[in-house]
Amino acid sequence: MRASFLGIVLSVLAVQPAAAADFNDAIDNAIAGYIRPATAQFADSAGKLPEAVQAVCADTSEANLQAFRAAYSATIRDFSRIQFLRFGPLLEEDRLSRLAFLPDPRGIGQRQIRKIYAAKDETALSAATLKEKSVAVQSLTAFDLIAFDKDTNVVLGSADDTREFTCSYAGAIAQNAAQIASAVAADWQDPDGYSKLLLTGGADNDLFRSSQEAMETVYNALTTGITVVKDQDILPALGSSEAKAKPRRVPFSRSANGLVYLSGELAGIKDAVVSMDLIPHLPEENHRALDTLDFEFNNIQNTLSGLKAPIRQTFDGGSYNKLRAVSFTLSSVHYLMTNGMAGPMGLAGGFNALDGD
Amino acid sequence: MPLMETKGAHLGWAAFSRRGFLTALGGLATASAFSGSPLAASLLEQNAGDDARLFASAYKLADGSFGIGLLDDYGQVLGRITLPGRGHGIAVSPDRRRFVAFARRPGTFALLVRPFEDAEPLALVSEPGRHFYGHGVYSSDGRLLYAVENDFEAVRGVIGVYDVSGHLAHRIGEIPTHGIGPHDIALSADGRTLVVANGGIETHPERARKKLNLDTMQPSVVFVDAAGGDLVARHQLDASLHQLSLRHMALDQKGQAWVGGQYEGPSSDVPPLVAVFTPDDMPRTTEIPGVFAGKLENYIGSVAANRAGDVIATSAPRGGHTLFWNAETGAFLGAQTIPDGCGVAPADQGSFLISDGNGGVSYVVEPGAQTEILSRPPGFSWDNHLIAIS
Repeated sequence: MRASFLGIVLSVLAVQPAAAADFNDAIDNAIAGYIRPATAQFADSAGKLPEAVQAVCADTSEANLQAFRAAYSATIRDFSRIQFLRFGPLLEEDRLSRLAFLPDPRGIGQRQIRKIYAAKDETALSAATLKEKSVAVQSLTAFDLIAFDKDTNVVLGSADDTREFTCSYAGAIAQNAAQIASAVAADWQDPDGYSKLLLTGGADNDLFRSSQEAMETVYNALTTGITVVKDQDILPALGSSEAKAKPRRVPFSRSANGLVYLSGELAGIKDAVVSMDLIPHLPEENHRALDTLDFEFNNIQNTLSGLKAPIRQTFDGGSYNKLRAVSFTLSSVHYLMTNGMAGPMGLAGGFNALDGD
Repeated sequence: MPLMETKGAHLGWAAFSRRGFLTALGGLATASAFSGSPLAASLLEQNAGDDARLFASAYKLADGSFGIGLLDDYGQVLGRITLPGRGHGIAVSPDRRRFVAFARRPGTFALLVRPFEDAEPLALVSEPGRHFYGHGVYSSDGRLLYAVENDFEAVRGVIGVYDVSGHLAHRIGEIPTHGIGPHDIALSADGRTLVVANGGIETHPERARKKLNLDTMQPSVVFVDAAGGDLVARHQLDASLHQLSLRHMALDQKGQAWVGGQYEGPSSDVPPLVAVFTPDDMPRTTEIPGVFAGKLENYIGSVAANRAGDVIATSAPRGGHTLFWNAETGAFLGAQTIPDGCGVAPADQGSFLISDGNGGVSYVVEPGAQTEILSRPPGFSWDNHLIAIS
């Protein structure tokens, strides 16, 4: 009798899901502590890009060139810090693809841009018509291609027969990016917008049936962000050997912002993790994971800052091996963030790792 | 279907120009269920005249919606078909002009799509008392569709046979699978024999996806005469592997069925996960190299053959590794590490595309060489299977 009673209790326990953990505090921390300030910062820097384009197109003085480089670099830096937020406002209206068409290993952007130049396509010359065109030609990755040459020199504003066209086109991309950045920031600021959806996970919420599902969306974007940096942004540049390396494959390396971008991607992911204050959600034996993560991220930033900039045509001064070391560390970081943190927090991993088929 | 890939070599590939396909897409874009992507138009301008390699996969978007994405060999999403729920496998007709996208089990819908025609997709609903398992295959003349289904009250698997020769589909009969939980299905190159992997797991739609018989499950691979429905052969692995649910499958150039399993026993066990079946021989399991032992989470998500049928890819999305095998010798050839990588489809001669749950589409030239991530459309999570549709 007693045994069968125990049997019933056990079977009931087996079918009842564990009391769902509440992750709203961590999500709220991420929104208030990272996402809102970071998207606002990007809106601010992207908002200054059109003016910098205009100035360098009016007069390629050294001061204007430097100001333009600084404005663009800040835009790329602040974009790199939010590009991993692959949910909600950044996905509306194809915004992320319209900000950066990545990856593009087959050079789709370059080929489409050539066609625009060959046809003197005037629909590329204003933000209003540009935004209706292919995402590959309206993004900051397209800006990199038209405003800089392959040796990282600024060509925007230089006197040649495409000067006017390039200036108008670059101005349209800059305005397009500024508008998108501003819309992303505004949507994240809106207390009744997507952030409310994230913070009200539950039976009444069509998108997130629990705060855990909302947390999984946020957290998996961070781990995917690490995969993107390692597998998509670094490994293609490293190639199979130093002799076959292609440093130009690092995004935004054409404008000498390759390291700015890589460093910003990782700084953004780290800051987002830290902002969540995950200690209350981690079993005590996993608390050290956060310290280890901090240590690894700092190591990576130190290594990146020791690379010889800009990375473009070659990896000089031991940069190849240093970047390779970063890719190895990123494997550890990914493992730590998934097996060492997501698992212990009870978060499900990827889409196909869920209840399988 | 993986089967079609090995079969295609015999049939000869129908080559469609990219323009033809995209022109058709333009027409479809007006259909409510179908929407072209912003890239489609620009690719149309740019790649006109190219012979297109096209792929399809079920997806979930970050906004919670489901559908089927049509991709080119650059990994770019050319078009989308909205589905009412999560999709799974896709069966392609022998002439590559039609495909059927199935709901994920225990789904009750399938969608018949004619991607090159200006036609609304046709919805197919499973019979009362049956639901789809997510996979199907066309007959070699393209007139019939075989769909694996659950006869859940009788606890047996069946193959629903549909006449799809006209513009409507009619269910004209069913064939027993001689097992429970049939999952993947393939057709032999001569079109005479259906091969079914019976996963062995009993489920009932009223209990969602709960597994009801893990202690007694008996997975099998059966070879069934396609015309008469007679059982040709039925094989099980060793009794010690009765909890290895045999699920996904591809036929190699010799017609051997490569089957990937999902182990329901203790997670500390390290069983073989890939086995090779033929009608006449005892099944053989492959040896997973020690470095991957225990790292695949005992779960194979997709099995696909390359175009020549001499290399087999088996993806393990939970472990994040895709393993490659020599179809002739069964030897391990190499592996790729792609987090949540599951869908695998043959690309060019010898190469594969791998899709993942984080939106990535990767190109694998050789089993051991570095993969190239072709695309990562924001917001997409690619489902278990990537299918070459041309």
